Amino acid sequence: MTSLRLSILSFVGLLAGTQGVFPAEPSPEGIAFFEKKIRPVLVERCYKCHSANSEKLRGGLQLDTREGIRKGGGSGHAVVPKNLEQSLLVEAIRYEDEDTAMPPKEKLPASVIADFEKWIMMGAPDPRDGSAVAEKPNWEKSKNHWAFKLPEQPARPKVKDNNWVRSDIDRFVLAEMDKQSLKPVGEADRRTLIRRLFFDLNGVPPQPKEVEAFVADKDPKAFEKLVDRLLASESFGERWGRHWLDVARYAESSGKEANLTYPHAWRYRDYVIDSFNADKPYNQFIREQIAGDLMPARDNQHRAELMTATGFLAIGPKSHNENNRLQFAVDLADEQIETTSRAILGLTIACARCHDHKFDPIPQREYYALAGIFFNTETQFGTVQGPGNRRSTPLVNLPAEATKNPGEVLTVSTRARLEKMLVDSKKELEELTAQARKERASGSGDVQRTFQRARAVSGRVNSITEKLSGYTAAGKSIPRAMGVSDRGFVRETRLLERGEIQQPGEKVPRGFVSIVNPDFRASFHRSGSGRRQMAEWLVSPGNPLTSRVIVNRIWHHLFGQGLVRSMDNFGSTGQAPSHPELLDHLALQFVDQNWSVKGMVRQIVLSSTYRMASDYDSANYNADPENHYLWRVSKRRLDAESIRDSILSVSGLLKWDRPRSSAVAKAGNGQVGRSRNIQIRTLMAPTDYRSVFLPIVRDLVPASLDLFDYAEPSLVTGKRDVTTVPSQALYLMNDAFVIRAADSMARRLFDEAPSGEERVDFAFKLAYGRTPTTNEKEKARQFFNSYQSISDTNNPEGKYNRGSAWSSFCQALLCSAEFRYLD
Amino acid sequence: MSEPFDINRRAALARMGAGMGTLGLFNSLQAATGMAPHFAPRAKRVIHLFMNGGPFGPDFLDPKPALKKFEGQRPEGTDLRTERPTGGLLNAPYKYTRHGQSGLPVSELLPHTAKFADDLCVLRSVHTDNPNHGPALLLMNNGTMTPKVPSMGAWMSYGLGTENANLPAYIVLCPGRPVRFSILWNSAFLPSQHQGVYINHSKIAPKEMIPWLRNAKLDPTTQRKQLDLMQALNREHLAAQSGADNALQGRIEAMETAYRMQFAATDAFDIGKEPPKVREAYGKGHFANGCLLARRLSERGVRFIQVYYGNGQPWDTHSNHNKTTPTLAKNIDQPIAALLGDLKSRGLLEDTLIVWGGEFGRTPVSENGSGRDHNPHGFMMWLAGGGVKGGTTYGESDDFGFKAIHNRMHIHDLHATLLHLLGIDHERLTHRHAGRDYRLTDVHGHVAKEILA
Repeated sequence: MTSLRLSILSFVGLLAGTQGVFPAEPSPEGIAFFEKKIRPVLVERCYKCHSANSEKLRGGLQLDTREGIRKGGGSGHAVVPKNLEQSLLVEAIRYEDEDTAMPPKEKLPASVIADFEKWIMMGAPDPRDGSAVAEKPNWEKSKNHWAFKLPEQPARPKVKDNNWVRSDIDRFVLAEMDKQSLKPVGEADRRTLIRRLFFDLNGVPPQPKEVEAFVADKDPKAFEKLVDRLLASESFGERWGRHWLDVARYAESSGKEANLTYPHAWRYRDYVIDSFNADKPYNQFIREQIAGDLMPARDNQHRAELMTATGFLAIGPKSHNENNRLQFAVDLADEQIETTSRAILGLTIACARCHDHKFDPIPQREYYALAGIFFNTETQFGTVQGPGNRRSTPLVNLPAEATKNPGEVLTVSTRARLEKMLVDSKKELEELTAQARKERASGSGDVQRTFQRARAVSGRVNSITEKLSGYTAAGKSIPRAMGVSDRGFVRETRLLERGEIQQPGEKVPRGFVSIVNPDFRASFHRSGSGRRQMAEWLVSPGNPLTSRVIVNRIWHHLFGQGLVRSMDNFGSTGQAPSHPELLDHLALQFVDQNWSVKGMVRQIVLSSTYRMASDYDSANYNADPENHYLWRVSKRRLDAESIRDSILSVSGLLKWDRPRSSAVAKAGNGQVGRSRNIQIRTLMAPTDYRSVFLPIVRDLVPASLDLFDYAEPSLVTGKRDVTTVPSQALYLMNDAFVIRAADSMARRLFDEAPSGEERVDFAFKLAYGRTPTTNEKEKARQFFNSYQSISDTNNPEGKYNRGSAWSSFCQALLCSAEFRYLD
Repeated sequence: MSEPFDINRRAALARMGAGMGTLGLFNSLQAATGMAPHFAPRAKRVIHLFMNGGPFGPDFLDPKPALKKFEGQRPEGTDLRTERPTGGLLNAPYKYTRHGQSGLPVSELLPHTAKFADDLCVLRSVHTDNPNHGPALLLMNNGTMTPKVPSMGAWMSYGLGTENANLPAYIVLCPGRPVRFSILWNSAFLPSQHQGVYINHSKIAPKEMIPWLRNAKLDPTTQRKQLDLMQALNREHLAAQSGADNALQGRIEAMETAYRMQFAATDAFDIGKEPPKVREAYGKGHFANGCLLARRLSERGVRFIQVYYGNGQPWDTHSNHNKTTPTLAKNIDQPIAALLGDLKSRGLLEDTLIVWGGEFGRTPVSENGSGRDHNPHGFMMWLAGGGVKGGTTYGESDDFGFKAIHNRMHIHDLHATLLHLLGIDHERLTHRHAGRDYRLTDVHGHVAKEILA
């Protein structure tokens, strides 16, 4: 089960199509034939256009290495040993096809063609070593790619209708509309606006009372007041922190084969939520996540915060069962580069692990310059050795009493239970070891199986020991976190040819990707990893990407589409911005205003652009059906968390406070899965906390989230899918959680509204933030009548009882389209 | 009904390479109709019988007399390098006889399947890239070992849509869980209606098999009332929108589909509705049930059905290989024969493609004395039905069944061939994601034209 094998074999596999898994040594006769008859022709007639030294490699075909000639160029294998038909080179030199006939000027003599055929039928013996150098990507164009240039403050454009303009944002948006002959639709009504603001800023619907108060508020600053209140709410961090957790591929387990729990990952989750609530400047937020452990702290609490921040680098998916230490380290650094570069820079730097980046000007060498920083970082992800885990590390110890959240408490009875389990397990382990020894000596029994059992028990011993070590004698949690640290000395880094650990190449000093921030200079010390310098490189003013990428993310979360639609790819294969000047304007302003996320959100939602309705307009629609130019606010489906949190909120079940940790923390270390020591069932026990606090185990995301396009927790996800599948509907119609919520909502109707009609009204206000139309009232009446006819115990005017028509009515509202969509 | 279907047709055409620009518009709609494939399909649907853990070909359809001749030895000059330490060659002590008009050699382990020898197209030279279960499962299902790309079933659903709007296009049956889970049938960046719907059929009552298929509280009549109210509200909402709202229309349809699926699935998944004679023909056990379910689903137009043999990796015989194999063989032989016969008698075999195999094969040399280790270098699979030459073999492995040596068929080639049989050019079924076009076969894949009927 090792990935060393994986990498060797995947490498062999790449070649398998051309030369077999274990190529036979070519015979001396074969080599002689090649040297005498074949090589001279290749050199004379082919190399000019088809070798590493060609000025321009034609057709991607390189004939000066064995690999190159076998692999062929763009159209297929040039030489397939013992197969003339599949060897395109034969077709070419026979001049069979006008388009592919080679060499171009003159056909080779028939005897030479016959030599090539003979050579191929011999198995194409070829002593030449070395790999085909891929065609040098052409970076000339991508070097001038817009995103690699610093944002420039654009002039404020003139617009036709100044009355519509509340801020510069509107000016830029309207100017674009003017150019396209589009007209903004009218402003949304207050009911729509408060619902939109609540979901966008806090991720929950407004309560009916709040809607009515806002609709009735005569204060000209009513909208601003509401915005400020929502920005100040703890819910803001729970909503916007979750957006960051999507790009930080947050999860509480390793994923991959072993899927080991990360019981301490939740501290990073809380750190992110707290950071958004505190409106921590984004540049600071980035610095902390890359190098918090190396930054000065004001006090112990701050120290704990800074150390927890580096969990960003530690929570990624990992193959814990990797046998080869070096392979593990290389894969870990690669994952860190992939996440850091896509999340913060919107670049796919990890593409340069095995070769120069195909599209963006990122040489492989610069990948390894960055990797050198991570290779010299200790990633502390915890976990315990045992079945499925060959790679564990200590965790980061946080200063005692310094964390905001005290974490779980170990009760006396739980401790007693664990200690007993530990003693028993140790005994069992001794017995199994003795048994295995006996079986091996006598040759009887199934040693393999006994060993397997012993390994499982040993894993259990380690898990319990680890769990007990996490508490003081008094049962208080000893705060620990996932994170990173420097080890105090630095090893040199070598480039790995084709990304393979077996092929170390030249030494590469630590450094950065030069296309981003080319003037940034840093000196690296022999004692530190260089993460401090890296953090500065990411957020320094010379970096054209970081600020653009984050303001685009903010825009995306407020409009459902980014100004750049490829959220995590600002490289040359990404999409161009719909409003390049607006993007630059926002990026510069964001930096000017001390990288304040709340400030940017506030500025955007106060614009006329944000306040537009979602109305249809046929002229606009025909010209711009996808609403590229923002002539209206696009309708959006609520995301997974908002759907679940809304159901909890309107039914009155929602627990607004923050849990002490996470279900994963309570479960402790181990492997997740059926017939493994951490049962899915225990992790998924029903809970009514906000969705951001649900346990996020890779490959086992709770159904309530997974069904509604939750972010894949192993990947940087700037933009979630929005899909409609039958299982979503089946879930809403039949899941126990939804039915429980509908029951609770029905109870709430009876608590808060005296008559049947008022209850219908209130239900609509809860679910949609509005009263029902006459038609809808009629539909509701018909529903209750028909319901009554099929079951006379259900009486709409009567007393509430479980399973009544009212619960069914409430569920219909919770399942309806309007409940899940935002205008 | 016709209007959204027209839209779906356009969406389906767009994704078959007619144009990418419009695709995003239709992501939320489920393709409900078949579409024009790249060329005439030979198969309309696929049943993949997955022997998870990895079987050893020479036990069944690839006779290797040299195993007996050199039993216990590692003959000089042969390369038998395996991943773990292994001993000498371990014989496959099963008698082969020739069957059918084709005279295809079939071992005594498959007496029932042997009756269909003339339908089998035995692939003796399949090879894969990695000797570990996880990566090999990924390669077999998703065409690469790197997460996270769409599974082949998702590609098939994406390319061809579904033939039955009341059921998912891609269904995965496993009495338990294979060692890698939902990633094996995920849709990755393809719209999520194309992901496989995983069903644990270890309990065969439909309501226990399919989550949320039944409402614990409401009977169907009462639930219909609730749905009528919900749909009335949805239509009110739709009417309140000025202008077209295809997406909302699509949501209303999805709700209806789900409601209908509660009953369609109840019927489709209920093997209790089969006559006793049919049940007997398939025999007992999870795999038998899986095969029978697969037939019921295929006749209802489900595009791709995978039947995993069992929980975990039952074919992973690291010890006692020759003791375990006859039992495994017994559990698959009668159900497979029944499935082939059943499909044939219903006229379904001609356009249903059956694929049999594991994620890799096993070593001819022994491990732990009596077991066999993983072997990615060469292994056996077979195809039957839709568009393949029956009673034939393709490719060769070496004298011991260790390495594929002739007409080597990589998994990419297998995928290219399967898609070809479905009427899809594997190089043209693409999806643009993260700045490049993805396809099931990555940059590889050759169609094995020799096996096409």
